[in-house]
Amino acid sequence: MIPEKNPFVQADGAKPTCMQMLQLILDDEASEEQRLYFKNHMDSCMPCFKSYSLDSAIKQLLKSRCCNDSVPPGLIEEIKFQINQNTAS
Amino acid sequence: MEESQKQHYSIQEKNAIFNNEFLPHINSMYNFGYRLTLDQDDAKDLVQDTYLKAFRFIESFQKGTNAKAWLFRILKNSFINDYRKKTKEPSKVDYQEVEMYYNSEEVDRQITPDLRVESLKDMIGDEISNALNALDVDFRTVIILCDLEDFKYEEMAKILDIPIGTVRSRLHRARQLLKEKLSEYAKTMGYKNS
Ligand SMILES: [Zn+2]
Repeated sequence: MIPEKNPFVQADGAKPTCMQMLQLILDDEASEEQRLYFKNHMDSCMPCFKSYSLDSAIKQLLKSRCCNDSVPPGLIEEIKFQINQNTAS
Repeated sequence: MEESQKQHYSIQEKNAIFNNEFLPHINSMYNFGYRLTLDQDDAKDLVQDTYLKAFRFIESFQKGTNAKAWLFRILKNSFINDYRKKTKEPSKVDYQEVEMYYNSEEVDRQITPDLRVESLKDMIGDEISNALNALDVDFRTVIILCDLEDFKYEEMAKILDIPIGTVRSRLHRARQLLKEKLSEYAKTMGYKNS
């Protein structure tokens, strides 16, 4: 069932922009009802459709390429050593 | 995450919390520190400092709650108070403008940078990482928290001490800037069809 009323409309009645709706979808902050509404909206809104593909691709790329730094060797031991020193004294 | 009731932990409990709830996030913390400072030694200092503080203030942490958000908040505060003060000139970004723009209908009419999904597939090197690092630190931060670390808007608001509306507008602007950078890369890499 596609919601008839736009479930993105704020409590103050402000009409959401395409970009604001898209952002909630992209970041998994939307409700089930909002997701349904947006899916339907995207079928007839080319800018949303294009931005959605691009933005999710960038999000995935960020995740796969910018999270690979792991902590330098010895740092955990150093931290534990410092804590032991502090608690012993 | 707010100044909650102080807990009372035995030394064994403290160590257990530290090992089981804090340390598992150390790679994410290091990555955050590195992306903020863009320097490996500074990142290391920042992480060490954060963990020592976390242990020192462990009784303000409630066992079983969101340790990752708590640690990220400490690191971000250390970065601002200890690190950024030494090195950074004040931010030139007008956040009020960012927010007003986000809440206007103009936001839908903005020119989307000329960038295609296909040209992203060719960015197999450091392009995306460099593009991220080139953003102003406040914009970089929201992308790290949201896209790399999967924090919810509400958690981000608490980590950064800003309202959720500001999280959203800042994130939107950050992504727009990131796309501009990526489209520059795409151009210089010579994707004629991008
Ligand atoms: Zn739309």
